[in-house]
Amino acid sequence: MDEWKPNPPVKAHKKRSWYLAWKYKLMNQRALRKLCQTGAVLFLLVTVIVNIKLILDTRRAAYEEEEESAQDYDDEMLNVEVPRHPVNNKKVLDVEVYSSRSKVYVAVDGTTVLEDEAREQGRGIHVIVLNQATGHVMAKRVFDTYSPHEDEAMVLFLNMVARGRILIFTIKDEGSFHLKETAKNVLKSLGSQVAPFLSWRDMWTFVGKKGGEVYGEKHAKSPALSTWGDPVLLKTEVHLTSVEDAECHWPDTELNRRRKRFCSKVEGYGSVCSCKDPTPIEFNPDPLKDNKVFDVPVAVIAGNRPNYLYRMLRSLLSAQGVNPQMITVFIDGYYEEPMDVVELFGLSGIQHTPISIKNARVSQHYKASLTATFNLFPDAKFAVVLEEDLDISVDFFSFLSQSIHLLEEDESLYCISAWNDQGYEHTAEDPSLLYRVETMPGLGWVLRKSLYKDELEPKWPTPEKLWDWDMWMRMPEQRKGRECIIPDISRSYHFGIVGLNMNGYFHEAYFKKHKFNTVPNVQLKNVESLRKDNYETEIHRLLGEAEVLDHSKNPCEDSFVPDTEGRVYVMFIRMEQEADFTTWTQLAKCLHIWDLDVRGNHKGLWRLFRKKNHFLVVGVPASPYSSKKPSSVTPIYMEPPAKEEGAVAVPAAAAAEQT
Amino acid sequence: MQKINRNVVLALLSLTSLVFLLFQLCYYKFYLSQKNGAAFSKVRGSQSGQDSTRWHVVRKFLGLISSHNIPVYLIDPLILGLVDKDIEQIRSSPDGPSPECKYFCAPRDFTTFALLDKTWKHDVGLFRTAEKMGFQWLKIINKDPRLDGMDDLSGMEIPLHYIFKLASHAIHLVVFYERSGNFLWHGPLRLKQHMDRKFVPFRKLHFGRYPGAYEKPELLLVSIDDLKVQIPKNPSSFLEEMSQSRFLECRYREARAFFQLYPDDASVDAVEFRKKAKSVLHLAALTLNNLGVKFWLSSGTCLGWYRQCNVIPHSKDVDLGIFIRDYKADIIPAFQKAGLPLKHKFGKVEDSLELSFQGEDDVKLDIFFFYEEDDHIWNGGTQAKSGKKFKYLFPKFTLCWTEFVELKVHVPCETLQYVEANYGPEWKVPVKTWDWKSSPFNVQENGVWPIDEWDNVIQLY
Repeated sequence: MDEWKPNPPVKAHKKRSWYLAWKYKLMNQRALRKLCQTGAVLFLLVTVIVNIKLILDTRRAAYEEEEESAQDYDDEMLNVEVPRHPVNNKKVLDVEVYSSRSKVYVAVDGTTVLEDEAREQGRGIHVIVLNQATGHVMAKRVFDTYSPHEDEAMVLFLNMVARGRILIFTIKDEGSFHLKETAKNVLKSLGSQVAPFLSWRDMWTFVGKKGGEVYGEKHAKSPALSTWGDPVLLKTEVHLTSVEDAECHWPDTELNRRRKRFCSKVEGYGSVCSCKDPTPIEFNPDPLKDNKVFDVPVAVIAGNRPNYLYRMLRSLLSAQGVNPQMITVFIDGYYEEPMDVVELFGLSGIQHTPISIKNARVSQHYKASLTATFNLFPDAKFAVVLEEDLDISVDFFSFLSQSIHLLEEDESLYCISAWNDQGYEHTAEDPSLLYRVETMPGLGWVLRKSLYKDELEPKWPTPEKLWDWDMWMRMPEQRKGRECIIPDISRSYHFGIVGLNMNGYFHEAYFKKHKFNTVPNVQLKNVESLRKDNYETEIHRLLGEAEVLDHSKNPCEDSFVPDTEGRVYVMFIRMEQEADFTTWTQLAKCLHIWDLDVRGNHKGLWRLFRKKNHFLVVGVPASPYSSKKPSSVTPIYMEPPAKEEGAVAVPAAAAAEQT
Repeated sequence: MQKINRNVVLALLSLTSLVFLLFQLCYYKFYLSQKNGAAFSKVRGSQSGQDSTRWHVVRKFLGLISSHNIPVYLIDPLILGLVDKDIEQIRSSPDGPSPECKYFCAPRDFTTFALLDKTWKHDVGLFRTAEKMGFQWLKIINKDPRLDGMDDLSGMEIPLHYIFKLASHAIHLVVFYERSGNFLWHGPLRLKQHMDRKFVPFRKLHFGRYPGAYEKPELLLVSIDDLKVQIPKNPSSFLEEMSQSRFLECRYREARAFFQLYPDDASVDAVEFRKKAKSVLHLAALTLNNLGVKFWLSSGTCLGWYRQCNVIPHSKDVDLGIFIRDYKADIIPAFQKAGLPLKHKFGKVEDSLELSFQGEDDVKLDIFFFYEEDDHIWNGGTQAKSGKKFKYLFPKFTLCWTEFVELKVHVPCETLQYVEANYGPEWKVPVKTWDWKSSPFNVQENGVWPIDEWDNVIQLY
């Protein structure tokens, strides 16, 4: 009845008209009638108006009621609408670029997009790429052109940047020492007049459009070898173009829509954003016949190395038998660019708030990723765990498909890994051969759900323990004597050079020469012989047929193994007890294989290849295979050398990285 | 003349006014009657025209999804109800042409279908085709509950419901997800602020008021009203399941806050106990489900779920509740067969029944039977050495599904009242020393068993 409320003024009016009529009645009958009539007309009109108003009112009330009725279904959580930024119609960007010895910064329209005043860091040329239509930062790089080869990386990067993008350069500390002619020419071609003459400790800023105009350049020469040039601050304006001009005109397909979204946000991914002939982002590799791992979820563990992730996902999606629906990328942190890469390939990605620091952060990220994987795929019995800095072999899934039943059936197995720690170019030979090893190599491996849920997850190292998850998994309390199956030739390749425990030197020494299988559809040999008991039979058979090498020679020398092919040789080294790896470590060192800790052993036996011959190393007397040693042979003992430089410095950290 | 004219005008106007007043009355009445209905059904065309519209919309929709190879199945309670009446006939003649439009023409605003998330590839092309066919569609997305229990993972939001609207009919497509515990889950339907609240009368939807949990259904391809469609093999049991499908998510955020206050026990003993408790619970669930006995998490196990989404490591046993009306004599032999021998039996079916089974390595499984009264529910306890009886009172409750240690199990929907009744307002504070005779908030002394009954009501093994 609330609807009647608007009426009072009408009532008053009505009242008044009656009152007036009464008053006029005394004066004039005629006038009274006339008045009555007008009053009635007025009243009727008002009634009509009130009615119309009422209709409108009830209509609105009904509408509101309807709104309320849907309230049960309202999202109680998110009632705060995120205000959308008004479309920026501004045509001009103000750009400020600062270059000095200890600090660089770049501000676009008053927003700082780069600021680096950290000590001992960020030396060299900082490059920022802006979208010419939106002004958004698409890439940020720093090339330490004081050091060798960095200028080559810069040239590579600049060549990848699409025409029309806005490039901003600024030098921190020193950027000319190893800036070679080629790089200087590239900078010159971008319109820089100073670049060809940049010299020791000069300060320099430059803003220009790739393949177009120059918006500004400033330079301060270093007066003397021991001093730096004065800080320079460049203020300039950049004219934005229209969005249409900034985009490529690819055919309108779902794939290209993804590509467009990606390419308008980030730079530095090469031909994927090329207008003319973009590289594909869908690969459709051949499906595998009888693929046993089609329904196995794949967890890709990633940090903030989007270029690595891009390379990794390309190789993963090109592997035969891949099932993109089962892939989830777990990003440690709220980084946008890795997520952009994930979306480019149409995969699903999950971001994880970093917990703890350093190794513990990685370890917590692993735990969250593994738990999430099994939550998302509750049917799965296994999960494939990959990292963002791995290339994946074309037959990765074929390899797993042929071996996964072992992990299901053989309780004595801990994992299947795609990585052979000792599988270098010169020590791995047979793509169809598998081993059992007591160590857990990681770097592309399969985890059994029951192992994770029943054993690992409940006692996973807590955030305050700065442990490496992989070292923890290798501890006897976790591994409980179980073994992993690995291939002779790795099905993954570790290409990461930047990382928590990784650097260029270390990568060169231990990872670069790792063998990586590129042959598709390899048929694995005798998979059943990898079962616990069968493997012992197999080893005994091998040792039985193996020729004992001449133990008087130096095992480090090439001539230690005869110049044959396809033979099986055995050598015996001294190994007093199970944990005595003195001689093995020395042997590994001179063979240039993994020597930072012990990997790839099975009951005191190592298997590798030398000169295309299968080469077995047995530790005597700790190994149960010692009985195969002819009594005439004395096991070789190699003394650890007096401490060398470097040999101790790296291992602690290095061993940790080897995941 | 003027007078007459004026009078005529006046009369006319009065008439208009009257008409308006009448109209006003009618309108108001109409409005009142519509209050609980929806604008949707206001515009009802001729009955037969409507009937075939529904059928046509369903046919178009089935065409749309089959062109994209998306396997959906019918879960519309109204149609399944009709189908269930003729199920034998439909099963026996899967391809027979039907003489009349019996099912898909039945009056209703929606037709509801289910889609298993993992069976399709989130193909955007579907929606483009739908638009070309004239459908308007609405997608309802929300957080992925499978990641909710995890510390700060932010996944992409997942689609929970789709609504496809064409003419005056709409298709409600409910997306089902697989959850740990081997069951299917669908999310609640919650509209975000910017969404069109009048897109369809959301209140009339059969799914979406609450999240729901279902077994994975066996499907049957049938032809009804000349349309080929998948339906649950046993529609009546599906409808039964649907009526009791409400799902409660564990309160993960509160559980995290709890662990901030009281860090979790990660000792070897705690890990071991949790593992054993989990396996006992799995075994018990399997046994009781096979018998068709409905049970729920009770006492400490329920508290563990509600407070910390996990087994309480110092609780030392697993507690389940069963309504006495669901009691079956087979329960004891079935547990015995499953490897859980009877440890003791207190009370009798008529009064205070309680069973205890011995799980592996000292983990005890306690089953309390609950007796329903007019205004409360209670279960009993018995002290073996004195024959004393105890009674634990609870407010009335209904049962909801939840996920717990990779298991789909029941808990009281009104969990807070249940837990508060049992543990009092301080239930959030962990208590390590617990006496079942005095600690519970809702315990009452209930006399003593007569000595001559002791042999029957106090059985220890």
